[in-house]
Amino acid sequence: MGDADKLPGRRSFLRGTGDADKLPGRRSFLRGVAGGVAGGVVAGGAAGYAVRAAQPEPAMAADTASLDGRLAAVPFHGRYQAGIVPPSQRQTAVISFDVTADSTSGLTDLFQTITSRARFLTAGGTPPPAGIDGPPSDSGVLGPTVVPDGLTVTFGVGSTLFDDRYGLAGKLPGRLTPMQPFPNDDLDPAQTGGDLILQLSAGNADTVLHALRDIAKHTRGGMQINWRIDGFTSPARPSGTVPRNLMGFMDGIANPPLSKAKELLWVQPGTAGEPDWTADGSYFVVRLIRMFVEFWDRVDVYEQQQMIGRDRATGFPMDAKSLFAAPDFGADPTGAVIPVNAHIRLANPRTPQTASSRILRRAYNYDRGIDQVGDLDQGLIFTCFQQDVKRQFEAVQTRLIGEPLVDYISPFGGGYFLALPGVRDAADWYGRALLT
Amino acid sequence: MLAMAMRKTRPLTIAMLAAMASLTACGGGGASNTISFNSASCGGTWTLAKPGWHTFELYNANDVGGEIDLIDPRTSGVYAEVAQFGPGTTQTMSLNVGSGRYAFRCLFEDTDPMTGPAVTVPGHVKGFTATVPVTNNELVGPAKEYQVYAAAGLKTLVGQTETLASDLQRGNLTAARRDWLPAHLTYETLGAAYDAFGNFDDEIDGRADALGVSNPQWTGFYRLEYGLWHGQSAAELTPYASKLVADVRSLLATWPTMEIPLIDIGLRTHEILENALEFQLTGHDDYGSGTTLATTLANIQGTRELLSLLHPLLVTRYPGLPGVYTWLNRLQTLLEAEHQPGGTWVPVSQLSASARQGIDAACSQALQELAPIASIAEPRNT
Repeated sequence: MGDADKLPGRRSFLRGTGDADKLPGRRSFLRGVAGGVAGGVVAGGAAGYAVRAAQPEPAMAADTASLDGRLAAVPFHGRYQAGIVPPSQRQTAVISFDVTADSTSGLTDLFQTITSRARFLTAGGTPPPAGIDGPPSDSGVLGPTVVPDGLTVTFGVGSTLFDDRYGLAGKLPGRLTPMQPFPNDDLDPAQTGGDLILQLSAGNADTVLHALRDIAKHTRGGMQINWRIDGFTSPARPSGTVPRNLMGFMDGIANPPLSKAKELLWVQPGTAGEPDWTADGSYFVVRLIRMFVEFWDRVDVYEQQQMIGRDRATGFPMDAKSLFAAPDFGADPTGAVIPVNAHIRLANPRTPQTASSRILRRAYNYDRGIDQVGDLDQGLIFTCFQQDVKRQFEAVQTRLIGEPLVDYISPFGGGYFLALPGVRDAADWYGRALLT
Repeated sequence: MLAMAMRKTRPLTIAMLAAMASLTACGGGGASNTISFNSASCGGTWTLAKPGWHTFELYNANDVGGEIDLIDPRTSGVYAEVAQFGPGTTQTMSLNVGSGRYAFRCLFEDTDPMTGPAVTVPGHVKGFTATVPVTNNELVGPAKEYQVYAAAGLKTLVGQTETLASDLQRGNLTAARRDWLPAHLTYETLGAAYDAFGNFDDEIDGRADALGVSNPQWTGFYRLEYGLWHGQSAAELTPYASKLVADVRSLLATWPTMEIPLIDIGLRTHEILENALEFQLTGHDDYGSGTTLATTLANIQGTRELLSLLHPLLVTRYPGLPGVYTWLNRLQTLLEAEHQPGGTWVPVSQLSASARQGIDAACSQALQELAPIASIAEPRNT
């Protein structure tokens, strides 16, 4: 609780030990910082950005039009992994594995097997039927013919893979570390980290689970599931807007445009401090964030909007008249309209100095049962991609330390990974440049 | 205790595929490209112009059900089968047909087996491999050997349970805790026989699950384990030990009259470890002694016994057999590493995360490798 005590906001107030009465209450704190906000609240959904007002260049991962559940195959082969830039599918599973292969050649077999299964599952097709020599080759969950359903398989490696087991210590990506705990975090070791991460996303839950069962069945000796979480993207409500998170706010409104991918998203060849094999990969941060939705639902909408910085109903920044308009923080230096500690303002101050910290967000909602007091265990699978974790995600998260929103959320797991470079063709495989 | 229900019926093992066949068939009945079967004709004449993926459409024009196999007429090896083929129904059979000789074989109820005309598929293309079925006769010998193996195990078990009972009669709980384990492990090596043991198994190795730990109807090894590691007195446990001895003796006496279904020999090669994964490696069946890793080792021994009995039948039929031993050996090594110097075992709940992952992964992969044996060693009438 030591760190939490330094934080403003009600949560730290509740947890304070001796001098709780000296801390400002939630309301006084919020209103105090906001400086007696009169008119409005401000922008955003979270830690994503993209200046879209001036020229509406499509943002990465922003299109939600194809969320109807019958998606075509996403080409598997390419310079980059296919599941990073396109719009979020409706369903996802994020699964952390630890490698149990007992040799480097076993690790290579594992990566090749994951590649061949991903290649088949994303393309779809008819699995061979069973003969009299064994059980069926496929679970049959998708019927006799496996449909692609927009499945993407995003595969990454964590820093623990680069210990002494497989001789990879000299190949550690330059910006890959274990996940750093931030002051408001309550990380559960059983739901944090892992040698490998797989994100399986598709139009439907059966497609995702079929893929998971298939990959697990073919890799039983090579890796074991460490933790997993399933998520979903809601339909845009109203239609034509952006899907909402479980706090009722549109989430991921702003993402950088694809034209910024070289500066923000992909590890560039020849980057100082990066082994050559990491080129065309992307750092993949996963944060599992519980939302205390019952508590949140007991907060009036005006306060909710102040904490976020956007109008809950429309998603508009509080100083603007359209969803994708950029908030003008420069015109509001004291936070009269959008408080200076509003989530969207801290996450993306929209200054030249902070432009290089932008990230590609690809968050999903999760919902999985109840906690010990009968409250719903709901929240966000926050995932983001970037070129440099410290310069980007950690810089954003550092700005967010102590934001008023921390009272209503609790990051409890996740990890830092490097999404591997893409599998270029039928002869290539995940991690070939790492393992050969 | 084995949780598997009896598995005597065989699921349909031919997946249905979209037809891709350049198949022509005649032989009466059904639509074009359909091969018809009746009491007088096992498929009639048919031709296949070239190798590759094909879906045969099969129509049962007979008034009884049965099984149709596509075989290599020279070896009687089976490429594909349609089991549970009801009268008046149509089923598909899909496979990668290689260059070679093919024939249908009909096994209708109350009818002598028939084999249709041999058909040659031209060229030099490799397709599915035909698996030569295992016959009932071939499994009689292994079943008898298993009967002998289990009888020997039960004899040993009588002595071990008597030792345990006498420890408790003398009030020596320390000795009872020591002597419980070898007795239990002996029983756990007899995995293939559990269904054959029938109700004896519930008495000897039943779980508390439905009964609850304080129900006097809960008896056997786990009941004793629970008492021995939860501070119960020797006086309280003695009646359970006596009942265990009586039940084991009674089983031994009955055993020669009990039959092992031939199909079980193949099924149990993976089912024993399926149960170990579900009940031992999860810690579910740890009633206090923390020895479920030792139990898993005993289960491996039981699995190995079955494999050795089936080895002559498997070695020519199952190319994955070496993988079975690779993973069983690896699992065994990982489990043995958790045997402590003082003779105790690390409870699964106290394993390091990496040790537990390694064990679970090896067991899961061993099961994956074992799974085909149930199909391959299923007795088929030929």
